[in-house]
Amino acid sequence: MSNQFYVVSWWDVLMALVFVALTYGIMRYWKIGLEKTLLVGTVRTFLQLTLMGYLLSYIFKQESWYFMVGLLILMVLVASIEGYRRQKLPVPHYFLILVGSLGITVVLVLGTILKFILDVEPWYYPFVMIPIAGMIIGNGLNSMTLTANRFIGELKHREGEVEMLLSLGAPVRTAVHGSLVSAIRAALIPNINNLMTVGLVQLPGMMSGQILAGIDPLIAVRYQIIIMYMWITTAVLADVISLTFIYRQFFTAREQLRINILRRAEA
Amino acid sequence: METPPIFELKNVTREEAGREILKAASITIHAGEFVALLGPSGAGKTTILRLFNALDSPNSGEIRFRGERYDEGSVRDLRQKVGMVFQTPTILEGTVVQNLMVFQRWRKDFVLSDEDLYGKLEQVGLTGIGLDQDAKSLSGGEKQRLALARTLLNAPDVLLLDEPTSSLDPVMAHQILRRIKALQQEMGFTVIMVSHDHRLAVKYAERFIVLLRGEIAADGPLSVLKGDDSAAVQAFLNGGEE
Repeated sequence: MSNQFYVVSWWDVLMALVFVALTYGIMRYWKIGLEKTLLVGTVRTFLQLTLMGYLLSYIFKQESWYFMVGLLILMVLVASIEGYRRQKLPVPHYFLILVGSLGITVVLVLGTILKFILDVEPWYYPFVMIPIAGMIIGNGLNSMTLTANRFIGELKHREGEVEMLLSLGAPVRTAVHGSLVSAIRAALIPNINNLMTVGLVQLPGMMSGQILAGIDPLIAVRYQIIIMYMWITTAVLADVISLTFIYRQFFTAREQLRINILRRAEA
Repeated sequence: METPPIFELKNVTREEAGREILKAASITIHAGEFVALLGPSGAGKTTILRLFNALDSPNSGEIRFRGERYDEGSVRDLRQKVGMVFQTPTILEGTVVQNLMVFQRWRKDFVLSDEDLYGKLEQVGLTGIGLDQDAKSLSGGEKQRLALARTLLNAPDVLLLDEPTSSLDPVMAHQILRRIKALQQEMGFTVIMVSHDHRLAVKYAERFIVLLRGEIAADGPLSVLKGDDSAAVQAFLNGGEE
């Protein structure tokens, strides 16, 4: 059977409302009480994604590199604001740390993919750059917030150990090593488990999408393999870069633990 | 030329969470002294030790170590010379030898033979345990001795002891303090010990500094203490542990 690309029409979308109708019916029958929310959600999905579609077709028509770079910066900023709001951490300069770490991670990982692995021409070709940048930013942000939170927990838990090591003359980096490692391990384990089980239980969303769009599964698989490798590097880079900035915030220039900041984390 | 005192605190104030823990305290300590910092809990005793080990900095005032300003020079070198033993010993995951050799984490040239290590353990009276024993399985007294041995591996000029025996029974407490006293006489380091129990401290220290609510209420040998007519100091001494 040859590849066939099925173009989805607006009529098809309308037909898909049969799912919503079915859900609505079941909800009514069982008196689940979420009917109104379901309808709002249905409309929002339609509007948000349609809007996104128009936005993306506008973006993909752009041909200047500075438009793409500006868009990348905007994506990093919006993600950082979201991450900062989602988790209020008592880390001085936390927002700047998120922006900086995410920015560096995007430049390194995206640059490697575009220039060395896929060799995209021009390098800012939006059909490749924007979706991959989105994945890097999303995964990087998730991993960073998880790690930061875990690190602060570890530091609180190991306060005595950290001060004991400092008191013996250890550098700050050595005194916090245990906390750093625990935090990074905790954030990486799900990513590594992903490497172990991908393709066994379910097809990754991106790969399914490519196959639906008529791409040869072998090509889709190659893409997915690259994404998986990129995924783990993104997590480890974002974690290491952000923690390098974060742990310093908890110490003074005289290598003293800033206990007052750590205490604020108890709330 | 006269050698400068080992420690000089001049009008040192320390605030924590908006509260003055130490109020313009001035203390001079000479090399080789065995000083007990006495006072009820919250009087600022531990704060002084933390300042000496540079784990905290004063909000105002000046600290000098051997005549040198505390906020200058390498803080790590300073901490090596001014060792601290905490109230609750922090024992790392792993064996006894891993706890003693923790210095290797940042000093690659730190090498000691098993013989040296056993010698160090014997020095603090920790005999009958193996280097490969799980350090977390040691008793409270053994852990405190292990922490002491670890601090002594830095060959400090000053040993800061923060209520080192508070979690131990009196027999064990005296055993450890006798060891420290003997080591002090043998190695010549200075000891500054925080204690809320002056009855224990008088057996080992030669000089007593009583702190009350962040202020130095008395300072001198035992005779000076006994003659101190401050009602607050006498109340603390007569009341013993507050």
